[in-house]
Amino acid sequence: MKRIMIDKDRCNGCLNCSLACMAEHNPAGKSIYVLNLTDIRNESRNFIALDRSGKPTPIFCRHCGEPECVIACMSGAMSRDPATGRVTYHPEQCAACFMCVLSCPFGVLKADTAERKVIIKCDFCGERETPRCVENCPNRAIYLIEVSEE
Amino acid sequence: MKYVIIGASAAGINAAQTIRKLDSQNEILLISKDDRVYSRCMLHHVIAGKRSLDGISFVSPDFFTQNALQWIKGTGVRDIRFAERRITLEDDQSVAYDRLLIASGASASLPPIKGLAGAPNVFTLRDISDVQRIGAAAQAGKTALVIGAGLVGMDAAAGLLEKGLHVVIVEQADRLLPLQLDRTAASNYQTLFEQAGAEVYTGVTITEALPSGNGGPVQSVRLNDGTVIPCDLVIAATGVRPNTGFIKDAVLTMNDGITVDEQMQTSLPDVYAAGDVTGRSAIWPLAVKQGIVAGSNMAGTSKKLTDGFTAKNSINLLGLETVSLGLVHAPDPSYEQATLNHHGVYKKIIYKDGVVHGVILQKEISRCGFWTQVIKEKLPIEPWPADIFDLNYAAFYQIAPNGRYQYARAL
Repeated sequence: MKRIMIDKDRCNGCLNCSLACMAEHNPAGKSIYVLNLTDIRNESRNFIALDRSGKPTPIFCRHCGEPECVIACMSGAMSRDPATGRVTYHPEQCAACFMCVLSCPFGVLKADTAERKVIIKCDFCGERETPRCVENCPNRAIYLIEVSEE
Repeated sequence: MKYVIIGASAAGINAAQTIRKLDSQNEILLISKDDRVYSRCMLHHVIAGKRSLDGISFVSPDFFTQNALQWIKGTGVRDIRFAERRITLEDDQSVAYDRLLIASGASASLPPIKGLAGAPNVFTLRDISDVQRIGAAAQAGKTALVIGAGLVGMDAAAGLLEKGLHVVIVEQADRLLPLQLDRTAASNYQTLFEQAGAEVYTGVTITEALPSGNGGPVQSVRLNDGTVIPCDLVIAATGVRPNTGFIKDAVLTMNDGITVDEQMQTSLPDVYAAGDVTGRSAIWPLAVKQGIVAGSNMAGTSKKLTDGFTAKNSINLLGLETVSLGLVHAPDPSYEQATLNHHGVYKKIIYKDGVVHGVILQKEISRCGFWTQVIKEKLPIEPWPADIFDLNYAAFYQIAPNGRYQYARAL
């Protein structure tokens, strides 16, 4: 399976990855020119947080081998595909109990800001060859690696 | 080689899936009283009319065929003869096993209140038949009395309110959700429930249900302060007991439930137990983990349960979400507390000597999952930050060569 590897030292916090994520998942269209940055209904699935010395730190879903979010999910909305290693969220099945938010050991997950009814979760950009965040990082702070995870 | 699993909920289903991943050859048979797979945590959504029975399944419709699982459904177990490795079902079928998992769950029990037992309008909320009976008894405008304001009682209360009933909640502790919430967080729910039309009585007990002792329906209950509350139906949500009634053979060691080691093995070889029947799982994620560990060991791949943490609850009632981890109150003055309370957002962190022991977050729970790890592992936070509520996983960031996140001990 592929995973987004992170080289924190190369991240300068430009947020291109977050904008790329928002653009990719924007219902109005994928172009950066139709991206409305004030629309709270369109949130980035990844985020850059500052560590305790103020250094930008990329926090991206790991699509874990034994995902705590899937284990915690009592509705069947979270599942891991053993073939691709992707951890996928199905909002239509979700009961908004937020046990996955509480269970993600790295605090990646959150509920959507606008309605607080669904989870904001990386989908590895679906059919795309390379996730758009990775494509848009100017510093190669995030890049794809192949890992074996069972 | 034949695997048999008793129970088809969180632990049983996950054990079956785990065994099948590791063993593609041998027969796996599930036996369950339930005739469908469903999430008990969503039963109140069925009461509310927000979900169908199919809508509360937590597995895909083709789960059993996909994993090549046999399933005897709608039948309980009458007896297990461990020496012969043989199970007798309630319909007289006899089933042999080589490796057995008992994941029979728990049943709701009625509190010992005079007049409740045997009344036709007194229900628990544990399985689909309960929901169907409650549905038949509950028509809009009626009054439902909920005994016990724990997670199940509050779910039931919310579901019945959404269905249009008048709901009265009675709790003997001084607040709603006493095991998960402190007074502030609980009172925010109380306000919400009262605004939605519920009546809440805390710090009281029910002395009897009336009329008592004739086997007829309960028409009212009397509280210890003398108050009489009329009601049309009663939901008792005061606790569960492991389903071990079918185990008459005394060779199996029991405590509150079936005793297991960290591999989920019981006192007998090739007999495992997982989930609520162990009396130790309490929350869905732990039942799932126990099922995975049991299934793995049954299929010959050694695995230990590394996580027994149960003080982890997430609540979402009437559109207000709260998470609760570890301690709810500081046990003594040597503990410190940080609180934040504005615009309906309430946060509290209980800590001592740089170690966090309890977290409550209400209405703002974004990206809070790292706290589970911090509390479970008692990770010291050094130095203590200027604003503890700003802390996030970046403070602990460490990455392995395969891209897995880890926790750096030193910050």
